Formats: sequence, structure tokens, C-alpha cells
Amino acid sequence: MCIMVARSRLPSKFDGESPSVGRCNREEPMPKLTIDGKEIEVAPGSTVLQACEEAGAEIPRFCYHERLSIAGNCRMCLVEMERSPKPIASCAMPAGDGMVIHTNTPQVKKAREGVLEFLLINHPLDCPICDQGGECDLQDETMAYGRGKNRFDENKRAVTEKNMGPLVKTIMTRCIHCTRCIRFSEEVAGTTELGAIYRGENMQITTFLEQAMESELQGNVIDLCPVGALTSKPYAFNARPWELAKTESIDVMDAVGSNIRIDTRGRQVMRILPRNHDDVNEEWISDKTRFAYDGLLKSRLDRPYVKKDGTLVEASWVEAFAAINTGLAGLDGTQIAGLVGDLNELEGMYAFRELLKGLGATRIEARQSGAAYDVSNRASYLFNSGIAGIEEADFCLLVGTNPRHEATIVNARILKSTRHRGLKVSNIGPAHDLTYPVEQAGDDAAILADILAGKHSLADRLQAAKRPMIIVGEGALARQDGAHILKAVHDIAETFGLITEDWNGFNVLPTAASRVGALDLGLVAPGGVRGILDDAKAGTVKAAFLLGVDEIDSSALQDCFTVYIGSHGDHGVRHADVVLPAAAYTEKSGLYINMEGRVQMGERANFPPGDAREDWTIFRALSDVLGKTLPFDSFDALRAALYKELPHLMDIDSLPKAAWGDFGEPGDIARGPIALPIHDFYQTNPIARASDTMAECSALKRSKGEATGTHG
Amino acid sequence: MGTSLFTARHGKRVGEDEQGNVYYLAKDGKRRWVIYNGVADASRVPPQWHRWLHRTTDDLPEEQAITPKPWEKPHLPNLTGTQEAYRPAGSLHSGGKRPAATGDYEAWTP
Repeated sequence: MCIMVARSRLPSKFDGESPSVGRCNREEPMPKLTIDGKEIEVAPGSTVLQACEEAGAEIPRFCYHERLSIAGNCRMCLVEMERSPKPIASCAMPAGDGMVIHTNTPQVKKAREGVLEFLLINHPLDCPICDQGGECDLQDETMAYGRGKNRFDENKRAVTEKNMGPLVKTIMTRCIHCTRCIRFSEEVAGTTELGAIYRGENMQITTFLEQAMESELQGNVIDLCPVGALTSKPYAFNARPWELAKTESIDVMDAVGSNIRIDTRGRQVMRILPRNHDDVNEEWISDKTRFAYDGLLKSRLDRPYVKKDGTLVEASWVEAFAAINTGLAGLDGTQIAGLVGDLNELEGMYAFRELLKGLGATRIEARQSGAAYDVSNRASYLFNSGIAGIEEADFCLLVGTNPRHEATIVNARILKSTRHRGLKVSNIGPAHDLTYPVEQAGDDAAILADILAGKHSLADRLQAAKRPMIIVGEGALARQDGAHILKAVHDIAETFGLITEDWNGFNVLPTAASRVGALDLGLVAPGGVRGILDDAKAGTVKAAFLLGVDEIDSSALQDCFTVYIGSHGDHGVRHADVVLPAAAYTEKSGLYINMEGRVQMGERANFPPGDAREDWTIFRALSDVLGKTLPFDSFDALRAALYKELPHLMDIDSLPKAAWGDFGEPGDIARGPIALPIHDFYQTNPIARASDTMAECSALKRSKGEATGTHG
Repeated sequence: MGTSLFTARHGKRVGEDEQGNVYYLAKDGKRRWVIYNGVADASRVPPQWHRWLHRTTDDLPEEQAITPKPWEKPHLPNLTGTQEAYRPAGSLHSGGKRPAATGDYEAWTP
């Protein structure tokens, strides 16, 4: 048996990231080509295919992908070049000065027809039952280049199905050997899980020993596959692309703010796909983003509940509001606390804050993980370098974070940078397989103090680097001495040249989509969540409002009058006295600020179930009952009020630099390991916990950990 | 009444099916008919007798060399309109439980 892994056949210059048109390198001259009689100059290092695209000529392709290395094995992109005896594969041919290219001659058409006929020899004619039908590259190209009939009388090749786990469904007979999935898993996901066995017509894409894939980015191979060989298992046979309503929105599973497209049919979210955003998620999304949508149909809160004689019973909105009114009677502001969860949009949090401020509450807290964010300076809680900025860095120090779980897309960016830009990564904190080489400095937060004192070898590394960056995770900031760690990293950033005119290497990696937005709204209280819970136990906090708060130990709120507002019945409702059903993230429009401080807008894709309402309407209605009417009657009026307070929200999708300043608390850092915030990537929020798909992935991961027991 | 008189005068009994329907052939061999055991419903005639009755064959069922296949079910009359009529899953008459549809969700209960 011959095992081979498809690799680029081109010289190393073209290995890895394909050169992009437009990025101009001044040292080399720009090659000038003639394409279909049109003269065009392209950036040096471009391929003929890119030059043709630039000139407006569309080239069919299966194996070529902008974000993957060049394979040149589908041969669909053939074009005619003058003084060349044969058509050339444009994706693999570097653009040279003086080339004369034709893309629309009869010879080109004939060549492409021939290639397509060969591809179709072994491709089954099962488009009517294929999930890719309607969005299939091979279908589209066959419309353009397919011959009307089949001249091949032999039997078609049949390939056995492969097991790739609970997310990716395989119908390998449909595979056309473009090797995009192999290149993706090696280059973007960083887990060399996919490979090819046998050769020629008999080549088969498979995972090693048919194990399930483990990457958190594996769902992207479904999008990459130009045919229906790799399709989505949870979505299998559920819908056709043309019957889905497509809504552009923003993901809330982590703080990356991945751009997504929500496909709905009627009231139900059928699938979630990525949208391209070069500075955020490129065109990848994590599996949690892509597959957690079935959690939107499970354990939903669809009517208000009020606790009577120790149990929650169904109630109407009027009864629920009346219960809140009686529950709050006689309490003053200092006895009321508000907690904000991980998945909320800005509008809901703003209305929540205004409502509680109207009640006189002073303690509104959004740092659910307990991280010691300092809101006095915006730079102290942002990913200041920007996600795209990772590619400019040459040294990266991770402090108490596992980006693979906390922000999978950021981890993919770091991997890309290590592969193509020579980024070196060191880690302070527990060791993990981050899919790229990491130099382990030790699991001890006090190393930061050593670096600051110049006593650690990492100090020299930071000093020597041209563009160093530090990524601090919530694991480090959630320690008792989190504020001291923040200060230490701040000082390291200043001492070792992480802060320059055009570079800010100080980065914080929040784990929740609503975190940065909530901090922009100033939702912090002295003492943090711990303080509020302790006071609730002690009895000084008598009423608590939980806005989608499910990651805390709610047993502390047992004796306290608790109102839970959220979409799912999860940990938060356990000790609630009143439960108000709210919309989940696909069911409301809203602004989100991602970890970089980028404001993005999500659109509503479907409607909340039953009696559930959008968050801000709940607070507006409740404020009326409590006699502290909020000054907005419509979503637009709410946004206007929000814009007035935070004018930077109006700059959708821009990335303003946060001004540098002083933050954190000077103090000693205790020696000792750092605990990471995420133990199970697939179970981090109520939606993911409600999802069967995520539960399956989580169980698989756990069983693998037990089975081998030796890997990290 | 008229039929039974006619049957008594001209009919020759040729057989009976498992439901008790009795089949007659006219003495001159020109007519074939059935007297139902119960409700007169043409769909009660089983296929073997149906062939004979409609002159597809002159052989009586016991003479026909057709052995029923193991997967063949016994003949049933048309049940449309009766209590035993087929109801698709989700019909209001069969419990009123409709199948899962787009947009269904599981509500949380305390």
C-alpha cells in the first residue's frame, strides 16, 4: 500500500500561502501580461490564475483555493499560452513578464471539456440525493463545460465510506481528488489528520486508521469540498440551499466575533456557515460556531415562570412582572445586583443596565469568569494587536491561555503566522497541543515577575523581537492576583518595547462574546462576581438579576430574590424565583464588540419560541411595571441612546486603536500554576450544552482522552 | 329476492371463498356472479376469484396453478370510510400526534 500525502509540487516559493494580488513588493518588478488582449500588471509572485482573475477572466477550478497551498492536480484551470505547445494549468504557473494568455479560445474550451469528462467518469450521478446539490462546484462547471452525454461504458469506481466523526459525513465515491481537505487540515487546522492512500484513480482520502477527526476547525472541510464528498452530518438531508433564507450575522460562541451566515427555513435555523472577513475569521469558523445550532431547539425557555411554594410554575408576563414588583418591594439600590452573561448583545445589556440604574442598583457586573479587567483603560481588555496583526508579530508569549479552545480562529491565525511568517511562540501556563510548536516556559504565573526583573530568558527573547506580542488569557486574570498579573504584563509591555507608535503587543483574550461590549458599557462592580455572590450568601444582596448568566455557582443565590432572563433552562434558572424567556442570538438583531474592539452588527434570522421576547423589550416593559419607565419605545430609539453614550459604536467594522495608559494593580504574584477557563471546548455556554451534536463531540473527546491517556 | 330466484333457477354453484362469498356460473355458461356473505361490496372478492369472475380465466381458484408468495398478505376489502381505514402518521384520527416539523423546539420545564 502506498501512502502519500498530497503536497505542493511547486518550488518552495509557492508553498504555503499563495501570493496575493495587490500586495506589492517594491524590489521586484511587476510582471506585465496580456490576457485576452488586455494588458495587465500584477504583483510579483502572482500566478497566472490570479492575473486572469484580476483581468476579469473567470477561470474554473476545483483544487485551487486562495487560502491553501497550490496543488495543481485538478487541471480544470487550463489556459492557452502563446509559444507553449500545450495548455498550461494557470493556478500553478507563475505569472511571467510578457506572457500572452488566452482564456476563451476553442482550444481552451476543448481542453477543459476533456478534463471535466475525465472527472465525471468516476463521479456518481446522484445529484438529486446529494446534499451539495445546488451549491456544487462540479455541477456549476458541468453546466459550462460538460458534454451532453457519457462516452464511458465501464463501471464507475466505488469507494468505501470513511468514518470522520460526528460532524463530517463522507460519500467518498463522489470525491474528485482535489486534496483541498488534506491541505486544509495540514495548513490551517494544523492537525495532520487527513491524508490519501493508494494512487491514481484509486486514491482515497481518509483519516489515519479511520479515526474521527479531532480538529476544532474540521467543519470547514465541508465548505472546502467542491463536490458532495464531505458534507455536514447534522444537516444531512435536512434542506436544500435554495429553500433557505440567508441572514448575515455575528457568532457569539467565543469572543472572536466570527462573521456567519444563518440559514433558516421557516422558524428553524438549519445551518450556520462562515462569511469571509479577512481581518477576523478569514473564511473559517470553529465547529462550535458551525454545529451548536441544534441547541437552539433544546431546553428553550418559552414562557415565564414564577416560583410558588418552592417550585417554578408557569405564569403570564403580567404575573411574572407583578412577582418581580413584590419581590423588589422595600429593597434599596445597594441590595440589588445585576449580573450579565456571555452571549448578550449591546442593546440588551444597555437596557438591562438602564433598568437597574433606574432601580438605584450600583452593582452591575459582567466579568462572569472573574477576570480582573480594568475598565479605566480600554486598551487593558482588548486584543490590541488585532487578529490580523498576529501575522506581523515575530514573537508571541501566551500567558495562561489555550487559544485553541478559547478562540479557535485566533489559534488558526497564530498557526498561519508560525508557518509563513516565522512567528515563535512561548507559553506560560499549562502545556497543550496548540497544533504548532510552542516553547513551554513553565506553569507558574510568577515567571512574569522574573521577566520584569530581567531574570528570565524570555526577557531576552522579548527584547530581541522586533514585534513581540503577549496574549493574556482569562485563566491568568481570574486568579486571586489577577489585577497584579495585569499590571505585570502591562509593565512588561512597556519595558520590552511592545508598545510603539504603530504596534501594540499587549493582548487580552476574553472568552465571551459579550465581554468587551459589557466592559465598554462599564458593567463592573468592585469585588466582581465573587463579591456579589459572597454578599448574597451573607444576606446583604437581597435581589439579583441574571441576564443569561449560567457559568456561576448559582447556589449562592439561594436565599436571594433572583430573576433570570435568558433563552435556555441551564444552570442559571436553578435557584431563580422568576424566569423570563428571552431570545437567543439568532433571534435578535444587535451589536457585538469582538475581542479586538471591532463593532459588528448581527441581524435577526428567526423568531424566538413561544412567549419569549427580545431582551430589550422585556426590560422596557418591566420598567413600566416598576414605575421607572425607560426613555425608549423602539429599537431605533434604544440604539440612538446607546450611540449617544458610546459614539464609537457607530463605526461598524472599523478597528480604532485604543489609547495606551496605566492599568492594573501593582502587587505580588503568587507562585503556582494557572487554571484555564475552558475545560471542555464543546460545552462552554447554554446553547452548546443544549446541543446534541456538541454533546456527541464532547463525549468523543473524553473517550479518546481516556483511551490513550498519554497525550497532552 | 330477484337475484336469489334467478340463482336458484339458472345458477350452478361453483365454489366459495374464505369470506363465505358464494360464486355461481349460469347453466349455459354465459354468466358468472357472486352472492356476498354480508355487505355487497365488490372489493370483497379476492384476486383468485376476481380473475374467474371477470373471465380472465376459466379455471377456478383451486385449479389455478398459483401458489401465494410468503410475503403476500390475505385479501382485505377496501376499508376506506370505515374505522379500520389507513390513517397516515399524524392524522387527527390516529391519536392526533403530528410528526416533527421545521421549527419545533423542546421547551424547558422546571
